[in-house]
Amino acid sequence: MKAAYLKTTALALAMSVATTGIALADKANDTLRVAYTKELENVDSYFNSSREGVVLQRAVWDGLIYRDPITNEYKGNLATSWEWIDDKTLELKLREGVTFHNGDAFDADDVVATVNFVAKEESGVKTQRNVNWMETAEKVDDYTVRIKTKEVFPAAIEFLSGPVSMYPAEYYAEVGPSGMGLKPVGTGPYKVVEVIPGQKFVLEKNENYHDSPKGQPSIGKVEIRTIPDVNTQIAELFSGSLDLIWQVPADQAEKLAAMGDQFVVTNESTMRVGYLSMDAAGRSSMDPNPFQDIKVRQAVNYAIDRNALVDNLLKGKSKVVWTPCFPSQFGCDQNVTEYPYDPAKAKELLAEAGYPDGFETEFYAYRDRDYAEAISSYLNAVGIKTDFKMLQYSALRELNMKGEVPLSFQTWGSYSINDASAMVSQFFKHGSLDTTRDDQVLEWLDVADQSNDPAKRIEYYSKALTRIADEAYWAPMFSYNTNYVMNTDVEYTPTADEVLRFTTMSWK
Amino acid sequence: MALQEPIDPLLEEISGPTPRQILRKRVQGHMGLLFGAGVVLVLLVIAILAPVLAPHDPYLQDLANRMVKPVFMGGTWEHPLGTDHLGRDYLSRLIYGARVSLLIGSVAALISGVIGTAMGVAAGYFGGRVDAVVTFLINVRLAMPVVLVALAVVAILGGSLQVVIAVLGLLLWDRFAVVMRASTLQVRRREYVSAAQAIGASTPRVILSEIMPNIVNNLIVIVTLEMAHAILLEAALSFLGLGVQPPTPSWGLMVSEGKNMMLFEPWLVLIPGVVLFVLVLAINLMGDGLRDVTAPDSRS
Repeated sequence: MKAAYLKTTALALAMSVATTGIALADKANDTLRVAYTKELENVDSYFNSSREGVVLQRAVWDGLIYRDPITNEYKGNLATSWEWIDDKTLELKLREGVTFHNGDAFDADDVVATVNFVAKEESGVKTQRNVNWMETAEKVDDYTVRIKTKEVFPAAIEFLSGPVSMYPAEYYAEVGPSGMGLKPVGTGPYKVVEVIPGQKFVLEKNENYHDSPKGQPSIGKVEIRTIPDVNTQIAELFSGSLDLIWQVPADQAEKLAAMGDQFVVTNESTMRVGYLSMDAAGRSSMDPNPFQDIKVRQAVNYAIDRNALVDNLLKGKSKVVWTPCFPSQFGCDQNVTEYPYDPAKAKELLAEAGYPDGFETEFYAYRDRDYAEAISSYLNAVGIKTDFKMLQYSALRELNMKGEVPLSFQTWGSYSINDASAMVSQFFKHGSLDTTRDDQVLEWLDVADQSNDPAKRIEYYSKALTRIADEAYWAPMFSYNTNYVMNTDVEYTPTADEVLRFTTMSWK
Repeated sequence: MALQEPIDPLLEEISGPTPRQILRKRVQGHMGLLFGAGVVLVLLVIAILAPVLAPHDPYLQDLANRMVKPVFMGGTWEHPLGTDHLGRDYLSRLIYGARVSLLIGSVAALISGVIGTAMGVAAGYFGGRVDAVVTFLINVRLAMPVVLVALAVVAILGGSLQVVIAVLGLLLWDRFAVVMRASTLQVRRREYVSAAQAIGASTPRVILSEIMPNIVNNLIVIVTLEMAHAILLEAALSFLGLGVQPPTPSWGLMVSEGKNMMLFEPWLVLIPGVVLFVLVLAINLMGDGLRDVTAPDSRS
């Protein structure tokens, strides 16, 4: 308690400093100071799974292809052109004259070494889905490679422009993931000059950056510090020792925006979707398991006032979502059954299902405790009594894999991959995280995932999504948004994919 | 007639005020005790009468009216202490939160009191091997950091009211055991104990009617100390998200939920923080006061 009061005092002091107008950006030193909320386990982008890691990955390394975040058009980055030479083989022509930060030249050997390393399961890449679709890579000549996929994989281009970045073959073979984490070397617009794990990263502009669709970096230095507490971040923003903070909760962002022209507050939507997952397959130990009854699942769907959640808690560019995918994703058909807020109907359905007085269930969540609490209040109001349990993400994921979770509030960010397969196929194809196990859905998703015909893919995703909504397997709720708060010296327009792009930032 | 009955001046001098009168006088002159007991009593009444006193349902969520300011900061009497981050009435949650704090404080102190006193008195009375075993257990217990163990256990079992009470009850008995052992050691060689043993009183009888009454004032102080300790620990656990689970109103949880908005709406943290502070202070003052007025030394 005492610590909390001391902190209040410190913050009050920081605020008074801010109001006296000492806020100065470090524009003079050409250094942009940014805060991260979470620590990174490893800077090596294949060995962390956090949003902060994605931001560094996009700054330090390059992929073969690049997707323009605004037009969604694919452009060549380290590759200049690509072509499917059969269903499972993609041939890419590489850009010549590109060098890594350590001076090594980039060529086909680097692509082959990187792909062959990450695609092997034993290498232990953290998010297997990002890389396990690749079989091998082969060198054709110094600037031509072929990547073979295991199955027909239409989303390959999207993945190559996202999480798959190219590493220097010799350096990576020598230092491995842990060495790469401490002294990262890539071809990207920024090179890493300092890594102090858990504390900070210092990036410096890559003066020899190739003619990439990412654009040329403008700001000379970027200093990223890890500051877990949002209030401390805001206090530092007030005192002028930070220039940009992001992932700022809606309430605080609103207050900062209300402070007038001291700060620029921008809101952008993200691909993250929040949903309730229910044990429709009856894997948990609840007996009888109410969630196996479609009426109960529909009742849960009717019980929640999604509009109130979006308008009052998430705010910004968040939207109500009825599908287990983000609306902009390819194949994410929005024309499905909706369950508007109707607590009376929810109670009626519960009574019809044989629970006139409701029932009790465990309710798990791992983030956004206030959203989870609000949702549990809605459920309590129709008679579904929740035993609320807040766990760490990894712990909840493990419980989920064992099938011991009857009801949980979860979110999925799809790794910013703009394809419905990144979400719906992740959760409805009888994997360990599938709480529904519907054979019909599996069949349709298999067709959609493995077809190279866009029209056919849309048709089958739509079938699967319609059935999921009709059966009320989940209660999809809303999409997330992110608030970016900058001081007035920084010029930056955030994109809708929750990735900070230092390359497009500049000083005013 | 009765009024005019003469009193023997000699008798008056010998008898003096009765012990009860002395006690009342001491209590009345002890400001700390009066304040402490008064506050605890008031909070107890509030906790018991919570359903009558609370102006709103503490669980009723109104997302359109989130973080309404309290009346002294420009709010309305509809919500005298404002509303929380989900639009629930802050005063009502505070009132229901008193139930949780007092319940946890008293039950945890009761459990640990029973365990600690039994161990301490047994060690002090029997000595020898029993004492060696109890002393060893006390040392083992003292070697464990309470907060860390509580955090670990709650993290494994999941937080709930029952788990928190059980964990705290099973962890906080060390002081009871240490003090009760020392006190028993002091009184077990007294003449009245030997006398009771000599007339063939059974061991339970000797402990319950000869030893306990003479060490109970020490026990009272420890009970209050541990009660305050348990209330603070519950608040700390709930603050860390490992104590009482939402939507149950708990003061520690309220501080935790208000923490995010501390910079802009400090009252969200201050109100439950101040109430928690006052309760713990009052319990401690009450304990000190009870010791002062019941201690045999100050009887002269």
